[in-house]
Amino acid sequence: MTPTEGFLRHGSDTYIANFAETEREVLVNLVQQIIEILAERHDHANEDPLAAMVGITTHDSPPDDEVLLRLLPNAYQDGVDAAEFRRYTESTLRDKKRAHAMSIRMLLLSATDGDVVLDFDNAQAWLGGLNDVRLALGVRLNVDQNSHDDLELLAPDDPMRAVYAVYTWLGWLQETLVVALMDEASS
Amino acid sequence: MGKLKPQPTVSEETAAEISAIFSHDRPWVVVVWDDPINLMTYVTYVFMTVFGFSKEKATELMLQVHNEGKSIVAKGAREEMERYVQRLHEYGLWATLAREDQI
Repeated sequence: MTPTEGFLRHGSDTYIANFAETEREVLVNLVQQIIEILAERHDHANEDPLAAMVGITTHDSPPDDEVLLRLLPNAYQDGVDAAEFRRYTESTLRDKKRAHAMSIRMLLLSATDGDVVLDFDNAQAWLGGLNDVRLALGVRLNVDQNSHDDLELLAPDDPMRAVYAVYTWLGWLQETLVVALMDEASS
Repeated sequence: MGKLKPQPTVSEETAAEISAIFSHDRPWVVVVWDDPINLMTYVTYVFMTVFGFSKEKATELMLQVHNEGKSIVAKGAREEMERYVQRLHEYGLWATLAREDQI
């Protein structure tokens, strides 16, 4: 199997990429980790089932974990407003992000001959889901502090070098999908 | 003689304050902050999709985020701005909302 050439637009509403087996495995593994880290914020089932039913969470403090905080950021700089907003919206945001990751996983696992075929809605889910993986890896790589030049110079045996390689590959893959979607948006 | 009825004095500032209290369509803004992870083309695309901006306008705002550290991308009623922030968070952009005069 040859490495993927990224997403290309076919017709008005279809985006197709072909993935090699190893690429599929890497991607499935990454989105699985996003699903798991989001699950760490899940509400304890019977704390207040009625509140849970209408999407109000018991969480109103920001996540301690840096990655989770980047995936579920504060909507206000003011702590009180941020907590209030989080209480009413975080579970919806978590569900959306989980759905994006699940869409990526499902379409990769069911891809025939490695072909992933997206319609517009799936493409949006993939964009958001791929971005969440990039955010998670970027936070762990400290992309904020480390410039890309520093990351390029990581020693060959540094485990972060492989992480950075995946991170840049994901950026490239996401870009191919954005470009394919933009073609349509501007036409 | 009865007591004089209290007469509220309404200065221009007071009037502005009062109208701000009742105005649901003005003082909130959505701010998008620069972040080193999100791709420039992706941020542009998200602005086009979420706000319906032209590619030119979306690119201009993306560059403002990139060069100046932040950009005000929407202004309006608080609830509407909250929905925008929620959608931007779904796409993974770093967005907050605030009163216009507190930015």
